[in-house]
Amino acid sequence: MSKTVIEVKDVTMNFHMNLDKILSLKEFVTRKLSGKLAYQDFTALDHVSFSVKKGETLGLIGRNGAGKSTMLKVIAGILKPTKGSVVCHGNVVPMLELGSGFDVDLTGQENIFLNGAILGYDEEFLRGKYDEIVEFSELGQFIEMPIRNYSSGMLARLAFSVASVVQPEILIVDEILAVGDAAFQEKSRKRMMELMGGGTTVLFVSHSIEQIRQMCQRVVWLEFGQIKEIGLTEAVCSAYESS
Amino acid sequence: MAPKTKNGDFPVLNLKKIFFLALSAYVLLIVSFYFLAGDQLHFRRSRGELTMPTAESGAVELTKDVLVEQTFQAKIQRLESIAVAWSAYYRSNTGTVAMELLRQSDGAVLMHADFDAATIAEGQVLSMAAEEPIESVYAEPLVLRVSADSVSGSAVAPFINTQEAREGFSLSVNGAVVPGMLCFSASGTDYIWTGLHYWSFSAALGIALVLLFLIVWLRHRKGKHSYLINALIAMRKYRFLIRQLVARDFKIKYKRSVLGVFWSFLNPLMTMMVQYYVFSTIFKNDIPHFAAYLIIGTVMFNFFSEACGMTLTSILGNASLITKVYMPKYIYPLTRTLSSAVNLSISLLPALIVCLATGVQFQKSAILALYFFAALIVFSLGLGMLLSTSMVFFRDTQFLWNVLNMMWMYATPIFYPETILPDNLKFVLQINPLYYFLKSIRMCILDGVSPEPVVYFQCIMIALGMLLIGAFVFYREQNKFVLYL
Repeated sequence: MSKTVIEVKDVTMNFHMNLDKILSLKEFVTRKLSGKLAYQDFTALDHVSFSVKKGETLGLIGRNGAGKSTMLKVIAGILKPTKGSVVCHGNVVPMLELGSGFDVDLTGQENIFLNGAILGYDEEFLRGKYDEIVEFSELGQFIEMPIRNYSSGMLARLAFSVASVVQPEILIVDEILAVGDAAFQEKSRKRMMELMGGGTTVLFVSHSIEQIRQMCQRVVWLEFGQIKEIGLTEAVCSAYESS
Repeated sequence: MAPKTKNGDFPVLNLKKIFFLALSAYVLLIVSFYFLAGDQLHFRRSRGELTMPTAESGAVELTKDVLVEQTFQAKIQRLESIAVAWSAYYRSNTGTVAMELLRQSDGAVLMHADFDAATIAEGQVLSMAAEEPIESVYAEPLVLRVSADSVSGSAVAPFINTQEAREGFSLSVNGAVVPGMLCFSASGTDYIWTGLHYWSFSAALGIALVLLFLIVWLRHRKGKHSYLINALIAMRKYRFLIRQLVARDFKIKYKRSVLGVFWSFLNPLMTMMVQYYVFSTIFKNDIPHFAAYLIIGTVMFNFFSEACGMTLTSILGNASLITKVYMPKYIYPLTRTLSSAVNLSISLLPALIVCLATGVQFQKSAILALYFFAALIVFSLGLGMLLSTSMVFFRDTQFLWNVLNMMWMYATPIFYPETILPDNLKFVLQINPLYYFLKSIRMCILDGVSPEPVVYFQCIMIALGMLLIGAFVFYREQNKFVLYL
């Protein structure tokens, strides 16, 4: 319970944006020549430091644009911080979006392997868990069909089944993902709780304070890219709600 | 899941086995190259070959009491043949013409050939060859003596050029020096350094490899970081992902077309047929095996433009993945290039069929063409990485590339013979990397001979150079990609 698995040290994330996104060489050259190339720095995260211990569930709260998603992306390795560093001990599974890399022309089966590979699973693992994934998704014989013929519910079920099959050491969750019809929603919520409860270190972003209260031991409250408050769930949540 | 260490890497790397396999592969490559490259590994056309001057006039009617002697020297290590151009005065002649090559210092006869004057046509070039290449006459004064036993009125004459004056050359008729030079050429081969030292050179490289492996292994045992180990781990870790992504590209390319895989097969064949019709009827040319010449060029350039075009959009096209999942970004251009390479290997089949159908004699050197295809793939990957980086920041890269791609196509002798380029445009070929690859591939397949060793070196340097530039720019900018998608 005491080993630190995520260490966020003094992370600053600056976005160097030109004011009206120039995305062509022609525009860039003409602007540069006329001296109208204006940049603006936007700081999404400002010297944020915290650490997460093994098995802990840490919640991230804050208003829209406070830097929660940026923080998750930095920890997942998708964004590289401008300053500071993030060290993760263990395999990180980011559940930021389901079904990344799904290809509509491929069958459900082919997509399981493609999506699994993208999420970083290896081959033997996927082969071993394949039946479990298909069973959980309740797709049955549809698994042999190109997913362009799937309904959105089927697609979400397949995506959730692939993403949640792994037992990660560090799980990053952006909102509890409950998909499909009522029955499947219940099932997927249960699977999420299982995942988050089973000794895994979880980073959890949600706008639902209720869920945060239920799940998390500690909470980080972000505001304008800075840590407003960090501490035990109850204290931070009540402060957040009364603000 | 496979056992993982704390930082998520696979700990089980059987280094001994990998290094052993790598070394075995190296030895196999070295030995097979030695046999496949054949004579081209040891000799190349001599740079000291003498070219024939333009024929201007007949020297003198070569009757039985006329002796024409040309003194010359050639910096050819292995002199193989001498050729002389003849005038027949547009009539039928009689008698026997003799060509002789002598060493000036001791008068020893090195080559000798007789020809029937009756068979000599106006402007014909007669050549005599040595039984074995003559090795001892490098830059030594030699005498080329031509004589005949004809009578005046039915005798031929060797051509001369009265303006040509070369250092150490002199022309004499019956012992009297006259200005000009006999219209003759001398050809032969030179030894190549790499051929003479092939085995010692290979052994040195092999020892260097062993040392490298030893150092890496020792460092690994001490638990230190090394680039090679990291690369191996990454290869292992992302092998499955890369295979899945390549398989996806392949499947979606063919799944929704009726003809399926046959498109990769038919496309170059049909392109070639159109070009063949146009360039063999409208623009005439005299390239042997023209259909094969065309399809090799087509297949090669199709690959290049497809690989670069696909890699160009690899980052932008995968924006939804890059912003949601972490994986090393080089995976995207790499898989696109690999997908194109898969298509290339399919389209090699029609090329093979055309070669067989047009009667190209495959020599063992054809296998060496694979080397140049590999170099081309590496080159395309490098350029593709550069383009995909640029594409993220400047979306009009695509349009610029389309224009550049078209220019590049015309600057590469795909459907025209390289000889049609005027001298002032020859530099275009010299600076065009694709030309080196294409020329070598054609040489291996159509001419059945390997290029000289230095060409192998040039090609690998061009390819690795491009990869290095592309990878460097890509590496430097990759952290900014996600901000511009």
